[in-house]
Amino acid sequence: MGCYLKSFARKSKAFKIFTIYLVSMSIIQVSSTFLGKILHQENLFLSHYFFIAQFLFLSLFYKELLKSKYIIGVLIFGLIYIIYQYFDDPNLYFKYNAIGITITQSIIVIYTIIYFYKSLAINNKFIVINIGVFLYLTSSTLIFASGNLIFNLKISEAMNYLLININRILYFVFQILIFIEWRKNYYKKTLKSL
Amino acid sequence: MEKELLQEDSQIIVIIFIAIFVLLFMAIALVVFFFFSRKKILATELEKANLALSHQKGILQATIETQEQERERIAQDLHDAISAKLNVVSLSTNVLIDGNLTIEEQQEALKHILNVTTNTLESSRRLAHNLLPPILDKFGLAAALEELCDEFENSKKVSVENNIVYNDSLTKNKELHIFRIIQEFMNNAIRHGQATVLNLSIEDIKNTIKIKFIDNGVGFDAQTLEDKAGLGLKNIQSRIDILEGELAYKSGKGIGTTFEIKINNS
Repeated sequence: MGCYLKSFARKSKAFKIFTIYLVSMSIIQVSSTFLGKILHQENLFLSHYFFIAQFLFLSLFYKELLKSKYIIGVLIFGLIYIIYQYFDDPNLYFKYNAIGITITQSIIVIYTIIYFYKSLAINNKFIVINIGVFLYLTSSTLIFASGNLIFNLKISEAMNYLLININRILYFVFQILIFIEWRKNYYKKTLKSL
Repeated sequence: MEKELLQEDSQIIVIIFIAIFVLLFMAIALVVFFFFSRKKILATELEKANLALSHQKGILQATIETQEQERERIAQDLHDAISAKLNVVSLSTNVLIDGNLTIEEQQEALKHILNVTTNTLESSRRLAHNLLPPILDKFGLAAALEELCDEFENSKKVSVENNIVYNDSLTKNKELHIFRIIQEFMNNAIRHGQATVLNLSIEDIKNTIKIKFIDNGVGFDAQTLEDKAGLGLKNIQSRIDILEGELAYKSGKGIGTTFEIKINNS
């Protein structure tokens, strides 16, 4: 993330949005760890901010890449639907919003596939990030969606940790891909400009 | 009871794991598929670009060759029609200057010089005319083409029918290209096709100019021509490319040749 921040100022709009996304994700993760591990308090409500921020920033990111105004429309609809969900059932705040997560992540996955299609003939930027978003969101959707179920199940700690660790591994792979993208596109240029 | 429940729950977890891995596997497969398709598409594009490049090179080569041939022809014409005759004039003048001639002989020589000079003038006029017909510039394409047809009919022992409707809708530059194309058609028909009847018609309707040229010559095999398109036809094709027109032709032994060109003038 530091790498992205460093070259923040002189990059394209898509790049800036992606950097903001990374920053917001890391803030949520740090505060989640802080609440859970250090203060031993409930930190599940942060998952709502996590997926809404993810939906918001990745939608804007793909709006820049795909140059389509429909994405803004879809984004507004999605946000309205999520707000309605919380009005409809305030208790949702203390659970996983499985439907919300599934819908928003699926929409982003559709954008990644459209971007894959658009990159077939030309060598586009951000293709490695696109792969990362695609792989991570596709597989993690199910992990998040099954969150509520797992809380209600009586399963061993080990199993629970396994599931969380899979998510962690996937997220780590995602981070590595993001780093590769940065290295591929910007590392050389940074050297040149020095 | 408790243990059984635990087992059932574990099964659900196992199913979730399997589903996650299947999803992940499908996602990876899609990414791999993407990269392979991209590789293939890029390779095809490269091939296409190379093909277009070699085609362009071919046209360039043909242009240079034609230019060289044209220069050779002009040099030959200048040498035959002008230099040789001016030589005669120069010789006769020298004889006159030396001055050991009777009045009658002098008169004879002067007449000869006048004669040769007049001939040379006519030749140089014709040469210049062949290079760029002045009528095209002054009176437009229709008049120039009619004159071309008349010239062919008068000098080359062929009958030329023409039906030209043209509203001056193209630029001078494009008109010259059309003129050259038709000149080439006529030369080819007579030189290679031994044609005796030529028919030229031009229509100018609604933004489209249609040119049709028919001869009754021996024709050629359209299939073999594709492969080793002669210089003449390559030249015509590149002119049509410049005009952004379309060329269609039909030919065969015994049925003569038909060329059709469509040009958009909007």
